[in-house]
Amino acid sequence: MTTKRRPITYTTEGVVVRISNLGEADRIITLVTPIHGLVRGVAKASRKPGSKIGGHLDMLKHVSVSVRETSTLHGLSQASTLNGFRKLRDDLERFSRASYISEISEQFSVENGSNQPLFRLLLSVLEALETTTNTDMITRFFEMRLLQLSGFQPEMSRCVETGIELKPANHLYSAERGGLLSNQAKPVIETALLPASLNTIKLLRFLSKAKLMNAKVIKAGEEEKRQLSRILRAQIHYVLDRGLRSEAFMDEVRSKKTET
Amino acid sequence: MAQSDTAPSVTPPVARLIEAFHRLPGIGPKSAQRLTYHLIRMPKEEAEEFAGAIAELKDRVVLCDTCANISESAECQICTDLQRDKTRICVVEEPLDVIAIERARVYSGKYHILHGVISPVNGIGPNDLKLRELLERLRDGSVTEVIVATNPNLEGEATAMYIQQLIGPLDVKVTRLARGLPSGSDIEYADDSTLAHALESRAEIS
Repeated sequence: MTTKRRPITYTTEGVVVRISNLGEADRIITLVTPIHGLVRGVAKASRKPGSKIGGHLDMLKHVSVSVRETSTLHGLSQASTLNGFRKLRDDLERFSRASYISEISEQFSVENGSNQPLFRLLLSVLEALETTTNTDMITRFFEMRLLQLSGFQPEMSRCVETGIELKPANHLYSAERGGLLSNQAKPVIETALLPASLNTIKLLRFLSKAKLMNAKVIKAGEEEKRQLSRILRAQIHYVLDRGLRSEAFMDEVRSKKTET
Repeated sequence: MAQSDTAPSVTPPVARLIEAFHRLPGIGPKSAQRLTYHLIRMPKEEAEEFAGAIAELKDRVVLCDTCANISESAECQICTDLQRDKTRICVVEEPLDVIAIERARVYSGKYHILHGVISPVNGIGPNDLKLRELLERLRDGSVTEVIVATNPNLEGEATAMYIQQLIGPLDVKVTRLARGLPSGSDIEYADDSTLAHALESRAEIS
């Protein structure tokens, strides 16, 4: 005779990174959690105005929630907000950045895959986005730190083609090879190369070692910012083998801000 | 097409219908099977009426040229109603929201349906919504107020902010539905943003 496994119930903190509607009034909520990795569960009747958990389980909220594990979608209940990140909700630019960051976090997380450093990084970057005016550099800091945590830190001191130490000069970046390529090197395999000026390389190196509080105060020219963004995004696309949906909106909001 | 969950013994017409139901929002594989087997047991006339209703829906229903609501003609009933206030437009996410607001019987203005909400993680941006059409409606200057009635969640708020920025340069008042505690709820269970909005929008007892 087979016996049914008793469902496990636990309480966890998490950040809501995706919501989709289910049936009449339910929602499927996806959270990035520190111990259980990506958790997907159903919040029953959470779309109804009188729901006790609906208001807590909104996008980009840091919440505490009770999870009842099942063989398919888990059940979510007893949610409460730990940090609602209100300032991310009152500013379109901060919202677009936070959406991008939450999408990458979801893509780099797996179910049942404990990842405390990623969770702490996500929380600290969302907190920083609420207060900083340097949202661009906070986003770059997040991308760099995420690549490091996932084992994809870009190689920035030696040429990925020849292995020779790079001289202080303008070089190139190959996402496929995962690092800088000397401007003297002739790649054996044809690969998409991105320009990396000396200042951009300095910024990349600084970001790889900087703390969040230092990243907030980094100042860079428009060209360096553009190169930095292209390099880190290309690396993330290569690792994920796809682009990110939230990029288009983030770029649109940024370009409108630059126009004004 | 999604991989079928049905057993190989299921006949092709049944498997096709199960897959068709499975593609509908909120319908899982089990519900799809249940609905299909319910239709098998249904009298033929009823099943034909059901199929006819779906076919008619696709043949006769269009989006209103003005407000993008579901309509049988180029202009919906609300847009052609001369009794309604032309100076106010209530912007909602989906046609179902129009039905909900109409049920309240307190609003007599016009509507504009966006058919979605800005959702960067789902790849839905402003260009995927009926925002250009909304701007067109405001150009002649007859509208004095736009009421943004998107859902009070993160993406609804972001869409409202975007609309506010879009309409900002025009001489039109942009308002947002009030947010606060729903009737019959407990303060104890309210989330921080709901409580904050309720306190900010508090009203004097008269």
